This record gives sequence, C-alpha cells and structure tokens, in this order.
Amino acid sequence: MGRAGPMRGVWLGINQGTVCFLLLSCFEALCRVASSIPPLHFLSPPCTRTRSRVGLFLDRLLSGLRHPSFWELPAKPETMLTLLALASVVLLGIVPEQSQAIVIYTGWERHALLGSDIRLSCSFFSWRWTSEDVTFSWTYRPDGSRDSISIFHYTGGAAYVDNKGPFRDRVEFVGNPGRRDGSILIKNLDFNDNGTFTCDAKNPPDIVGRPSSVRLLVFEKVPIQAGVITGAIIGVVLGLLVLIVVIYYLMRFLVARRVFSLSVSKHGKKKKEGSQQRQIKV
Amino acid sequence: MLILLAAIFVLHIIGVIVLLVATIDNAWWMMPNISTDVWGRWIQTNGVWNLTDIPTGSHYPQDYLQAVQASSVLACIFSILGIFVFVAQLFTLQKGQRFTISGIFQLLACLCIMIAASIYTNQFHLDENFGWYGHCFILAWIAFALTFISSIIYFVLRKKTA
Repeated sequence: MGRAGPMRGVWLGINQGTVCFLLLSCFEALCRVASSIPPLHFLSPPCTRTRSRVGLFLDRLLSGLRHPSFWELPAKPETMLTLLALASVVLLGIVPEQSQAIVIYTGWERHALLGSDIRLSCSFFSWRWTSEDVTFSWTYRPDGSRDSISIFHYTGGAAYVDNKGPFRDRVEFVGNPGRRDGSILIKNLDFNDNGTFTCDAKNPPDIVGRPSSVRLLVFEKVPIQAGVITGAIIGVVLGLLVLIVVIYYLMRFLVARRVFSLSVSKHGKKKKEGSQQRQIKV
Repeated sequence: MLILLAAIFVLHIIGVIVLLVATIDNAWWMMPNISTDVWGRWIQTNGVWNLTDIPTGSHYPQDYLQAVQASSVLACIFSILGIFVFVAQLFTLQKGQRFTISGIFQLLACLCIMIAASIYTNQFHLDENFGWYGHCFILAWIAFALTFISSIIYFVLRKKTA
C-alpha cells in the first residue's frame, strides 16, 4: 500500500474525475434517448367517458412528460458536462477531508458454550488506505468491574498476546491486518470470561475513532431465543395455508381454461365444417 | 332460519372471545400471589402486580412453552378467519350446499387449541402441589369444546335459501 503524499492526491483526483465523467456521459445519453422515444401508447388514457379529477391530473402530468421539450437540456450538453464534472470533483475532494474518523465494527453480543472457543471479530472502515503502522488492541472488562485490562495488541506487523493475565495461552490472533481484520480467538471459555471486550483500531494518520465493544456471555446450555420457535411454527402453518389456497385456485383456473379452449376448438371445427359444406354446395 | 343463523354466528363469536382471553391473559397457573403463563409471570409484592419473565430451568422447558404459545395463537387466527369465511360463504354458496370451509377452519382452530392445552397439561407443573390451574387454562378447554361443536354444526348445516 502506498504512503500519503502529493502523488496520492493526484491519483485520487484522476480516479474521481474519470468516474464522474462516465456517470455524466451515461446521464446525457439517457436524456437524448428519452427525448427521441415516441409517446408510449399504454400511457394514454383508455377511455374518455368518465374522467375523475385524479384522472385529469394524471393525464396532464403524462402529457407534460411526453412533450419533447421536457427532456431537452437548457444549455449546450458539452458545457453542462464540464461544469458538473468540475463541481463533483471539488465536492468529492472536500468530503473525505471532513469525515476522516475511523469506524470500528465488532459484534454486539456473543453467546458461547462453556469450554468452547469463540472468535471475536473486529474490522474497521477508514477513508485512508491501510497503512503499514495499523494497530489493533483488545481490552477486557469483567462483568461488574470497572477496570479493564489489555489482552491483545498488534503493532508494527507483530501480534502480542496476553501472557500474564486471565487469558494467558488462550488468545490467538486470527485476523488479517492487510484486510483490516483484527479478530482474535479465545479458547476454552469459562464462566469467569463473561464480560465486555473492546476493540480499538488505529490506521495512521486516521486515528480519531470510537472503540467498539462486544459482550460475551458463556452458557452451560445455549438458551433458545424468545419467540423463535413460536414465530417459526406460526409462519410455517400460515404459509402452508396460503400455499394450499393458491394451489386450489390455480388448479381451478387451469382446468377452466382447458375446458374453455377445448370448447372453443370444438366450436371452431363445427364452424369450419359448416363453411366447407357451404363451399362444396356452391 | 334467521334465528338459527344468528345462534350459530353468536356461538362462533363466543368461541373467538374465549380463545382470545385464554391466549392473551397470563393466568394458566395460579399460586397465592403469582399468576403465570404463557407469556409472562405476574407477581404481587406489597399489593403491586409486576410482570416478570417466566423462569427458565428444567421444570419449565422453553421449547414446549413456545409451542403452546404458537398453537394457541394459531387457534385464534383460524377461528377469526373462520368468521370471515362463514360470512363470505353465506353470500356465495348455492342452495343446498354445506359450509365445509368454515367447518374446516373451526376444526383447525379446535385442533390447535387442543394441542396447546394438551402440551401444557402434560409438560408443566407436574410436581407442584402448591398452586392450581387458572381461568385461562379452563377457558382453553372450553374453547376446544365450543369450536368442536361449531365445526360439527358447519359440516352438517345446509344452506336453505339462495
């Protein structure tokens, strides 16, 4: 990954400029195409007998849309294009400078069984490219305590795990800093591991951000979430009911259509025979 | 004929009301200051009733509780749909035909509330002597009887006038 500098700015500008140019040319092409399409027939009102107020309003709206002058751009397309391209490049150039805070994502709550392993994921979003000095650090705060201890730190390309605290020999780094992933694996969970784990990531020069926390709950037996089974049973039964009704009406419709087509063909055959007989007679 | 129709309709409505009360009110099992199941537990402390969660544990299997919730809700839904279907069939049936679809809906409602009440009777409060069955439980079994009678009537009834 490159370093920040004047070359980076030029490269970003060229990138954004080409994207804007492509978008605007598409928009311009669409406008030209739309103005050349003849008015669509299904948009015209089918009958003029009864015209409600809503119908009249819609009619006026549609006729206005159909008028070719609606789709013509007021100025020459080339000048408008260049103006819009310049404006968007300026805007997109300003925006990243203002929203430079790093955003960190972890889960909200994790449930795990006693004695199992759990992977706590942590990733971040940053407007800057991932630098080589990216750091991840995890801290742990037990339930009911106000102090937090640091259990993991990744910096300068090396991961440092807890070797003195409650998680010694139980933490493993399974993330990929190049892909902005700072996840850790905690093995052999115990009831004392209930608590809040906070992930803090820094991507120099983008260091302003809020650390994100995930709460770990260790269970003897994973509890069923409230209402899952209830919802599933109700959903399945009602779904079956709807399915049966739909199939019933579909079968009735298909049978009726088949009967109708058969009777039409029979009627048509009779008519043909009748006309043939008349021709032979003549 | 009209009186018979009105009576059948009123029976169906009473069935719906009984089903709704049995499903919504939390009073399947009562103890001196506690009224519980299927959605929550009301505990009275110092004259004030508080709604708390139903305790989890081996004597209160969560999956069976959710099955009871689901089938009692389904019974209500089927019964209410049955009312609308009955009214629709009143206008669309031809003379001499039976109200089979309304009967089927009521039968499904009867089946569902029977499943709910049976699971509840079989799985909960088996070893507890300190309590008694509340009004919702009794109403659930009454609803079973009412919906059964109602569905039989629908299966037997024929449309007299066009």
